[in-house]
Amino acid sequence: MSGLDLPAWSEPFTDVEGLARRMRLRGIDRDWAWGESTGAGIRVGIVDSGLEVSHPRLNGRVVQSVAVELEDGEPRVVPDDGADLYGHATACGGIILGLAPEVELVSVRVLGSDLRGKGTAFAAGLEWAIDQGIDVLNLSLSSKSEALFPIFHELVDKAYFKGIPLVSAANNVPAASYPSLFSTVISVAAHGESDPWRLYYNPSPPVEFGAWGVDVPIAWKGGGSTVATGNSFAAPHVTGMVALILAKHRGLTPFEVKSVLAAVADNPRHAPRGKAPTP
Amino acid sequence: MSNPSRDANLTAALTALKAVARRSVVARGLQGPAEQKLLQSIVDATVTLFDAEASSIALFERDPDRLEYRVAAGEHGAGAVGLSVAPNEGIAGFVFSTGQAISISDVSADPRFDRAAAEMTGYVPRSIAAVPLFDEEGTIGVLQVLDKRGSESFSLHDMELLGVFAAQATAAISATTVQRGTARLMAHVLLHVGDGTLTAEQVDVIVSDATRELDDHADTPFWHLVDHVEALRSLGERDLTLVADILNVVARHAERAPRRR
Repeated sequence: MSGLDLPAWSEPFTDVEGLARRMRLRGIDRDWAWGESTGAGIRVGIVDSGLEVSHPRLNGRVVQSVAVELEDGEPRVVPDDGADLYGHATACGGIILGLAPEVELVSVRVLGSDLRGKGTAFAAGLEWAIDQGIDVLNLSLSSKSEALFPIFHELVDKAYFKGIPLVSAANNVPAASYPSLFSTVISVAAHGESDPWRLYYNPSPPVEFGAWGVDVPIAWKGGGSTVATGNSFAAPHVTGMVALILAKHRGLTPFEVKSVLAAVADNPRHAPRGKAPTP
Repeated sequence: MSNPSRDANLTAALTALKAVARRSVVARGLQGPAEQKLLQSIVDATVTLFDAEASSIALFERDPDRLEYRVAAGEHGAGAVGLSVAPNEGIAGFVFSTGQAISISDVSADPRFDRAAAEMTGYVPRSIAAVPLFDEEGTIGVLQVLDKRGSESFSLHDMELLGVFAAQATAAISATTVQRGTARLMAHVLLHVGDGTLTAEQVDVIVSDATRELDDHADTPFWHLVDHVEALRSLGERDLTLVADILNVVARHAERAPRRR
């Protein structure tokens, strides 16, 4: 099996010794980054299957729910009914609140019964969330449509220039998927250490961060819960951390947020050149 | 009413399209069994490698929109073949819709799990891992594995490996999607060549006339020949050259001889 050419966006995070860093950003630690922060004052957009507003794990933190509907193929953003078609968005929301309990959640439902336009709906939902100036967006889904590549590229740049960090789950399938593989996005794959605060920085992109995504206990549809694995559940851990950072340091740009995340990551430390490793 | 230039265009287009259709059906004859065998080998390998109870591949089909189980393997897999599920429901539908691979280790607690559908297959799993199958246009189906023996859940490595298997399956499938589009291609071209003078109904009639004999997979010598050619794939280059030389001679004779039925 070892001879197989794995796509393995999660591969760097299975042997974290390989992530040891000789150079680190100094002077920034977790206490500086988010000590005392609860995420209060930050709005987090979840572009997904729609949040189940009444789910106990969401603690009544959902402040707005919209859905993208397609009329003759044209997307339109309308108020949503506060249900979750699958449970996926609710799972993401629960994970984010586990780290940043006082953020406000905005539900942007882009998955619906009309599968023909799902890429278009996703792009329209993302654009709406960017235009609203929501502080950080969680994108635990991706599109493979080459036709939508330029549209996502434009939207991702728009978010970056507007100062909105996009946290996107990488896809495990060995091919390009958007928007997770654009360079300004905070792309996340899963590691298997059951600690919501465990974060790794991968200096070899496209996937730059690893967070808990294996056997994660999560909120599910219908007020329920279950245990699941996937990069989808790694990304919201990072979204939660980003919300904490932004609540404490308003006005940090996506570039600065990424740097802070890299600085506080749990990568093993390499001894500086010429010195023996500390015992 | 008749327009000689348009009629000549139509006749020429139809002749060319019939040639395209003929080649595409022969290609299906050659590749269809190969595709099915390859997909089957992928689910067989998945079951063995994961030591799982079952594995299956469901592909998206339109009219009505559905995910149709094409192949399955494992002690508890066979019951799934031929079943269809809605593409926006259940775990397969979720993976198809979001394009995200997931595994659920406590399936019975997941309300998205379609127990009724599982019971139809004669098997209700404890855990499921599912990954999307992608081509350049988007998601085309889902590869699933049920119940890894000796483990309550699927590891990261399992998920990555499933991604590799999914890529193999996608490569096997992409060959036949072109074939499936033949009738649609013919209709599209005819509508354009007809310069707006043909109604959709007229186009339907012409296309079904042109493809009727192609769909006839009757027990004819021609299709036996296609089967033989499929079987020749395993031959080496020298043997294939010899077979090609023989066929060349036969084809030249056929061109000279008056057509016989």
